[in-house]
Amino acid sequence: MSHCPAARTRTGMAKVAESTGDSPKPWWGRDLPVYEIGLLVALLNLVIVFSPTDPNFLTDRNLVNILRAASYVGIIAFPMTFVIIAGEIDISVGPAVAFFGVAFAQAVSAYAVPIPIAMVLVILAGAAAGGCAGWLKVRYAVPTFISALALWGSLRGGARWWTDALPVIIPSREFRTVLGGDLFGIPVVAWFMFATFVIFACLARFGRYGRHIHAVGANAQAVEALGINTGRLRILALASTGAFAALVGVLTDARLGSGNASAASGLEFDVIAAVSVGGTLLTGGHGLTGTLLGVLVIACLSNGLVLVGVDSDVQAVVQGAVILLAVLVNAEVARRSFSGRTA
Amino acid sequence: MRFGAISALEGIDLSLNEGEVLGLIGDNGSGKSTLVKIMAGNMAPSGGSILVKGKPLSFHGPADARAASIEAVYQDLALCDNLTAAENLFLDREEMLRIANVPVAIDFRKMRRRAANLFRELESETRAEQVVRTMSGGQRQAVAIARARLNRSQVVLMDEPTAAISVRQVEQVLNLIRRLRDQDVAILLISHRMPDVFAVADRIAVLRRGRLVANKATTDTSPQEVAAQITGALEGAEQ
Repeated sequence: MSHCPAARTRTGMAKVAESTGDSPKPWWGRDLPVYEIGLLVALLNLVIVFSPTDPNFLTDRNLVNILRAASYVGIIAFPMTFVIIAGEIDISVGPAVAFFGVAFAQAVSAYAVPIPIAMVLVILAGAAAGGCAGWLKVRYAVPTFISALALWGSLRGGARWWTDALPVIIPSREFRTVLGGDLFGIPVVAWFMFATFVIFACLARFGRYGRHIHAVGANAQAVEALGINTGRLRILALASTGAFAALVGVLTDARLGSGNASAASGLEFDVIAAVSVGGTLLTGGHGLTGTLLGVLVIACLSNGLVLVGVDSDVQAVVQGAVILLAVLVNAEVARRSFSGRTA
Repeated sequence: MRFGAISALEGIDLSLNEGEVLGLIGDNGSGKSTLVKIMAGNMAPSGGSILVKGKPLSFHGPADARAASIEAVYQDLALCDNLTAAENLFLDREEMLRIANVPVAIDFRKMRRRAANLFRELESETRAEQVVRTMSGGQRQAVAIARARLNRSQVVLMDEPTAAISVRQVEQVLNLIRRLRDQDVAILLISHRMPDVFAVADRIAVLRRGRLVANKATTDTSPQEVAAQITGALEGAEQ
């Protein structure tokens, strides 16, 4: 074996002048967020296309509707961005919204659990369900897609079995008014979305957790070699999608006045589509702003297509084409950006 | 070191001094990487001992080796392409802004400043805020080496640092190694590129089939002699 006696000593360490460090570029010299600007332009184009087609599109009422629809997707899309950056995927969020919405309604109506306590309990249960998929990956190397698929089936089926596929009425008008209503003219659910955005944007930009999630997505082996617990990061990321899906379940209950086993059908695809359109899938992310814009683009497109009377099957085709186009543009932007800068 | 019936390393006794570059040369399968993994705490030896400044130590993981002031720079560099140089340097050792001693946010400014100082010490032109994905092979090496120096480690193990980079970048990396030596760091340089080893090493050790077959001052040997020792054409060289 080797040993390092460090026999010689020297005091002449190379003198290094104290520096102020590399200064970051001023804002006018930084690379423009091309992709986010592109999404903003796409959003404006949707408004320009749909506004003359249907006079109701730009009304206050419809804009609030778009914001409300976007919010249910957005609240889950922000934690989902972290999951996808870390190289995982959670397709169980739609059924999780339904199941934990039903669980909340049952707790409040059948077991008379106080609403705040029931909220905390279902959010914790949602975190446990999501975290379980992460644990299976870490402990038994079960691909997250497979465990999320198992959750997808069992949560939806469990919700139907528990309620006989009937709505569970929540006997509280205050609950519906407070969480299902508006605050300062904006839906309460939208305030939740804004708060979730701020939390995850701060975590991504300023938090160690956000930096480590980005690092895991790029080179998990290297991160592990540094002593970072990548398993814990993955479990946390998946637990957060579960927790926020459960929160959306409660907010959906507040809107509908009941827990419904068929609620949020297909929501998981809207969430993943929003994150993809936001630019996360191919490049490791354009940040949470991209996801926010992706959520708004998807909501705007869906709303506009409904207003102009496009057949629901054709709507799905158009949405699919838009997602594909967004991902292709994203790939091209990434390719040009990196090939232009590589030294 | 044994893997079942196979002995990967046997009877190896090497010393490494401050401000010295020890070049470790050997053919594929000679045990070079196994030796580095043991010294970096990534692999537990089946026998023998590691002494740092005369004290015997046992490593249960890379963190133990790091605590003993030993850092490894692996061939794949273990960098995250989507992070900046400064973020890679400080990964899991981030500088934090604190309010009432509670960490509230990463202190990017401080990280960039410290990273820039480290690059300046290494006389590298790598920029602290540059994203690793956009860097050349030489710049990536500089990031990996600067990370190894972040906590002023006194021993740096380098596994094939010049294996996958251009000729011009090789010279940059060799200069980085010289800068480290000037800072009194003890360096174990593993490479199969003999000209690189002869360019910077003070001593050269040769491994063959898990055994140390030569350990000489660079001035006392030649590429021809080392090549003969690697292939086994010249057995029983002075140790």
